[in-house]
Amino acid sequence: MNTPSAQFEIVVNGVAHHVSSGWHSRRLLDLLRSELGLVGTKEGCSEGDCGACTVLLDGEPVVSCLTLCAMVGSRTVTTVEGLNSDHLERFAAGCERTGGVQCGFCTPGFAVMSSWLVDGGTETGDDSDAKLLEGNICRCTGYQQLAEVISSLRTISEDPTGAAP
Amino acid sequence: MTDAALRPSLLPELELHAPTSIEELTNLVAGGCHPIGGATDVLLSAAHTGNPRRLALTAHVPELTTFAVGPANVTIGGAVTLGQLIRSADFISSVPALAEGAHNVGSTQLRNSATLVGNLCTASPAGDTIPGQFVQGAVVEVAGPSGSRRSVPVRDFTVAPGRTSLGKGEVVTSVRVERCGRLDGSAYRRFTERNAIDLAFASVAARVWLEADGETVKDVRLALGAVGPTVIDASAWAAALVGLCVTAERLDQISESAALGCAPISDHRCSADYRRQLVRVLVAETIELAVDRAHTSNAAGEGQS
Ligand SMILES: Cc1cc2nc3c(=O)[nH]c(=O)nc-3n(C[C@H](O)[C@H](O)[C@H](O)COP(=O)(O)OP(=O)(O)OC[C@H]3O[C@@H](n4cnc5c(N)ncnc54)[C@H](O)[C@@H]3O)c2cc1C
Ligand code: FES
Ligand code: FES
Repeated sequence: MNTPSAQFEIVVNGVAHHVSSGWHSRRLLDLLRSELGLVGTKEGCSEGDCGACTVLLDGEPVVSCLTLCAMVGSRTVTTVEGLNSDHLERFAAGCERTGGVQCGFCTPGFAVMSSWLVDGGTETGDDSDAKLLEGNICRCTGYQQLAEVISSLRTISEDPTGAAP
Repeated sequence: MTDAALRPSLLPELELHAPTSIEELTNLVAGGCHPIGGATDVLLSAAHTGNPRRLALTAHVPELTTFAVGPANVTIGGAVTLGQLIRSADFISSVPALAEGAHNVGSTQLRNSATLVGNLCTASPAGDTIPGQFVQGAVVEVAGPSGSRRSVPVRDFTVAPGRTSLGKGEVVTSVRVERCGRLDGSAYRRFTERNAIDLAFASVAARVWLEADGETVKDVRLALGAVGPTVIDASAWAAALVGLCVTAERLDQISESAALGCAPISDHRCSADYRRQLVRVLVAETIELAVDRAHTSNAAGEGQS
């Protein structure tokens, strides 16, 4: 950065971290995993293809392998560890029920996307889940199971009393 | 041992600047820094080739963050992401071909970082937003060191694969495109195998203006992607429609001229012949869709998406 300071602040999962300015020009993925110990975010392809490294910046998904820490700016970061725990539990149970997880490498990325989708995430307002999930690759399970989990989570979030099946 | 030590990032050590004014940005670029929007192209190149390493973020230069849908034009600042564009219903209805192009770049996650200007400046013949910029009459606004400014029509901006007409120290401040008006519609179609991770095998953008009778073609623009060294302005081939109604035979004739006139290569994606066949199919489909949109464009002067 042109205005070097010894440290900068980055808010991850609601906690403000002060990290050395050397991180400005390094990947958010590396900061999360090796500096902050948040290893739920996975590194698959390192090239923006697979979505395993997906995190939310101010609630919108990005790939952390192609995000330099300086590009985060004042936005807050949410990783899979920071998702709502009820949501995570339901997502995990759904994956177990449908066979939506095998090796589990893609699962954190799908968990983050599922949270974004269930919270009403959209682009044009008229996109299918399939379109919005094009950036998440699962080489094991096929996508039907994951699509089913997300639609069942949406039903639950619309009817939090749990009356829905 | 830290995780980073176990699996070091493939990226080389980068020098990163965060200028807050155009002067600062153009001076950095004149001094050898590369401007970055989402850095989705630049970081891949840095990881694969070791370059570029000296980067300047565009996001903190206020002028580059402009995104305005005005009565006649849409202005897209150099740092505006594709995600910002396609979240705007006004944008989608004003410039359908460009919105469809933006919506086709990469994935949801990628579009939240990648910029339209980054897509343009990468100058790939397969860049998904470039054909739409051609048919929406894009003008590229450029700023250089010592305060110079100039405007470049998009067809003079991309000069070769990966090359633009930007001079030393010049950056793109914004791209200005014409909105579709009444009896005026546009569309973009591409073919690829894996949407989020593959570039277009071939792509087509079309724009059609109809006469007041709602049938006769008043004017037409056509642009072809991924079938030449740059996006090709194919409007001259489509001009055979002007003054006439669109019929299947006339569409066939234009598709054939475009398929024979373009200059595709064979590569790992597909053969040149396959690309010509895609052009035949996509030209007809895209013009038909643009005509449909021109038909339904409403009296308020807006195209339908
Ligand atoms: C997984 C993946 C999938 C992709 N899929 C597609 C796809 O389907 N279709 C497609 O077209 N592209 C695709 N791309 C390529 C890329 O994402 C797009 O070209 C994107 O729009 C680039 O925008 P950016 O802001 O990230 O560019 P950056 O990487 O920031 O910049 C790209 C180039 O533009 C220059 N530049 C940036 N801003 C300026 C400025 N203001 N003035 C002058 N020069 C500037 C940079 O110096 C660099 O040369 C994909 C990339 C990845 C990693
Ligand atoms: S590791 Fe980031 S998208 Fe694959
Ligand atoms: S469960 Fe193995 S990649 Fe998805």
